[in-house]
Amino acid sequence: MSALPEYRTRILLERENVPLVKGVFVTQVAEHPEDLPEMPVYLKAQIPGATSRKSRGLVRRIDTPDEFVKNLNILLSPGEWGLAEGVLITEGVDLIAEYYAGCMLDFGSRDKLPGGVLLFSTEGGSGVEGRSGTLLKMDFSLLHPPAVEDIETELKNLEGVEEHAAVAGFLKGMISTYIGYRLNVLEVNPLGVLKDGSILAIDCRAEFEKSAVRKSDWDVFFPPGLRSSRDITELEKAVELINRDDPSGTGFFRQNRDTPSNEALRVATNLCGGGGKMLWEMTTGSRTDIFTMNESDTSGGLSAFKSYRILRVVLAQKDAQVLLLTGSGMAFQNQHHLAAAVWKALRESPTPLPSLLRFGGTDEDKASELFERVSSTLPVPVRTYPAVIFPNAMVDDIRDIAGEAGKTGEIYIPPEGEPSITVETPPGKIYFYPERWKKDEIPPSVAACPTGFLKWDISGLTTDPEAKCIGCLMCETAALLDGNAEILIYLEMPEVVD
Amino acid sequence: MAGILKYLAGVETPKTLVFGITGKQGRSKARLMKKFGTEIIAGCTPGKGGQEVDGVPVFNSAAEAVNTFPQLNTAVLFVPASAVKKAAFDAVDAGLKFLVLIADGVPTQDEIILKEYVSTKEAVYLGPNTVGLLDTEGYLFGLIGGSATWARKNYRPGKVGVISRSGGLSQLLGAFHCRPDLPGPRADGSYGPLWGEDYPGLSAVVCVGGDPVPGISMLDAAIAFEKDPRTEVMALYGETGTTQENDLAEAVMKGEITKPIVVFLGGKFTKAGISQSHAGAMIRNEDETWEAKQKALLDAGITVVERPDAVFGAVLGKLKNS
Repeated sequence: MSALPEYRTRILLERENVPLVKGVFVTQVAEHPEDLPEMPVYLKAQIPGATSRKSRGLVRRIDTPDEFVKNLNILLSPGEWGLAEGVLITEGVDLIAEYYAGCMLDFGSRDKLPGGVLLFSTEGGSGVEGRSGTLLKMDFSLLHPPAVEDIETELKNLEGVEEHAAVAGFLKGMISTYIGYRLNVLEVNPLGVLKDGSILAIDCRAEFEKSAVRKSDWDVFFPPGLRSSRDITELEKAVELINRDDPSGTGFFRQNRDTPSNEALRVATNLCGGGGKMLWEMTTGSRTDIFTMNESDTSGGLSAFKSYRILRVVLAQKDAQVLLLTGSGMAFQNQHHLAAAVWKALRESPTPLPSLLRFGGTDEDKASELFERVSSTLPVPVRTYPAVIFPNAMVDDIRDIAGEAGKTGEIYIPPEGEPSITVETPPGKIYFYPERWKKDEIPPSVAACPTGFLKWDISGLTTDPEAKCIGCLMCETAALLDGNAEILIYLEMPEVVD
Repeated sequence: MAGILKYLAGVETPKTLVFGITGKQGRSKARLMKKFGTEIIAGCTPGKGGQEVDGVPVFNSAAEAVNTFPQLNTAVLFVPASAVKKAAFDAVDAGLKFLVLIADGVPTQDEIILKEYVSTKEAVYLGPNTVGLLDTEGYLFGLIGGSATWARKNYRPGKVGVISRSGGLSQLLGAFHCRPDLPGPRADGSYGPLWGEDYPGLSAVVCVGGDPVPGISMLDAAIAFEKDPRTEVMALYGETGTTQENDLAEAVMKGEITKPIVVFLGGKFTKAGISQSHAGAMIRNEDETWEAKQKALLDAGITVVERPDAVFGAVLGKLKNS
């Protein structure tokens, strides 16, 4: 779930005509508006998901122009909070009351359908759910949202609210915003009441799922050129680039921010699917002698091309000592293709790691056989496990293999020149070297193509326009094992990995 | 004998419509399903009506397909997450009784709206974010097995009903109950083959999916297996997030489910409030923690194991006692 900071949440509310306190968003001191509202004003650093903003000094009341420039400078500069997206300057207003309003989801249970929940309290602040007397908790349908009259009727049962119609209209606007943008959480806190009885959103925030954002709204949810310092590592950025280049399947990668103890073994992981992650976590979650350097989920039908590229990132983690690869143990992805990706990554990575590999699913036997054939040429020790051996048994071997010496590998030199075939999806470059295959018969690399994309005729290598390359790496694998290296595949990596 | 769909959806003989059959995944998985034995009558892709895929006629909508083939009663949706809600509405409006929603990343609000909408119809759905359902009577919806040959080899008729919130563990728990000489921890504390050629086998695998608002819940699936005469024991994979395990425990406590259940419960080290690769595994309140679920399940007399290979020995023990 991602967080939307106040200034961008305001854009959504404004589109639904929800009244807001006057405010201006700036990203530089020079931008501050000439027609600044009369003092006092509030400066609010805009950091998605930031909590306790007042106590952390991220919200400041300003009473004089001198203070204004000085504090704007502070909040726009990097601080213990990182770098804010900018500062929202809002007008200071006299309120006679502060309310709380929020929309969230109820996932339902056996006896209750899921839906939305509207929370409204005549007291602002946090912890509203504990206030029985002053809290309205109204379930609502996302399919058939409540009318303003329905909300007003509910409000009349609540003590301490006099502006029923105005508040009901405001809450209706909130619900429309909430449903219209398919948000997970939308909060206005406080919702301020002015002397004339009108009401305004003084502060607000939202949470959302990336998959729920429509393309037409990307400018609000994912604005280009944000100056914020996101909590993202260089290798995580590399995986973002890979996913952008090849969006097939799941390619999740996140590095562990915790600090390992000196004694802990640092394990880089490739855990295929949520099940694989859970097996590893259940095995090592309570162990302090094993430090899991990253989470990674490569599943959902991704190609071996993409598996290779993410494995290269996993292997590039500084100070990693061992690679651990497992899925749940019965993948629907072809395990021989995955094994080819692992072999290629270990061959071509400048930092290969001793590896524990568990293959389970279609062609699991072929996956293990591949490593039996190539074990003497690998730059690092590798042990493979059948699916019936679970991570709780694999982990017993982990210190042994970390201590085993590897060989000196050859430095990988990518193919040069124009590729023979460029595959768009999944992206990859196929190089064919005719001088390495002088025989008349079909080379093993072409015969290994499972889709018929690669063809062989009198003129040599051709492709079938009706067939597709699925990025399985079987051609290169066969060329290296059974042929004369007549086909090589080049898969581009973000610079940081090499 | 009817398969598990009779008890899940009132469907004895599935006749299936494949949404997205003209796409890469839809086409290849329709082939897998067909080779396994699923009767695929028609496909559906808006704008591509009139085409054929592997001899299967394609329609623009479910209504058009049902108009031509009124025997259609089930559907599987290989459509992008953003298109799931609309396609599912189309399918249930056309009168289909059982849907499988494969896509990962369906917005939670769409899932909630879908659940409310379908609750007013005579239909149920599996997913979203599921690998589907396999019944050893001879039909398959979704991706389970990867290839028909592999699926036939690894999923054999027998006595165990599998329910899981993970795609991978659905496949694992199903296949390993059909694997001769499977090693694992035994009741006496030793480790070794649990059975020889006389493996317990499988009635069906039902993957309820990894999302926070599943259509068919673990409890719904368990009630179906309770009614299914082939199933003697249920093997489940549960985890943190949602109330599914809690609801199941309550139903067992009330005596609504009497067949023995073994649960591998994952998520012991999952931290509250942190997004998980299974969106539904995120802990939102105390009841959704691993500890609360473990307690609820144990209090109901359900066997809970903390390592996956302990499931099979525990299932064997239940079968011996039954």
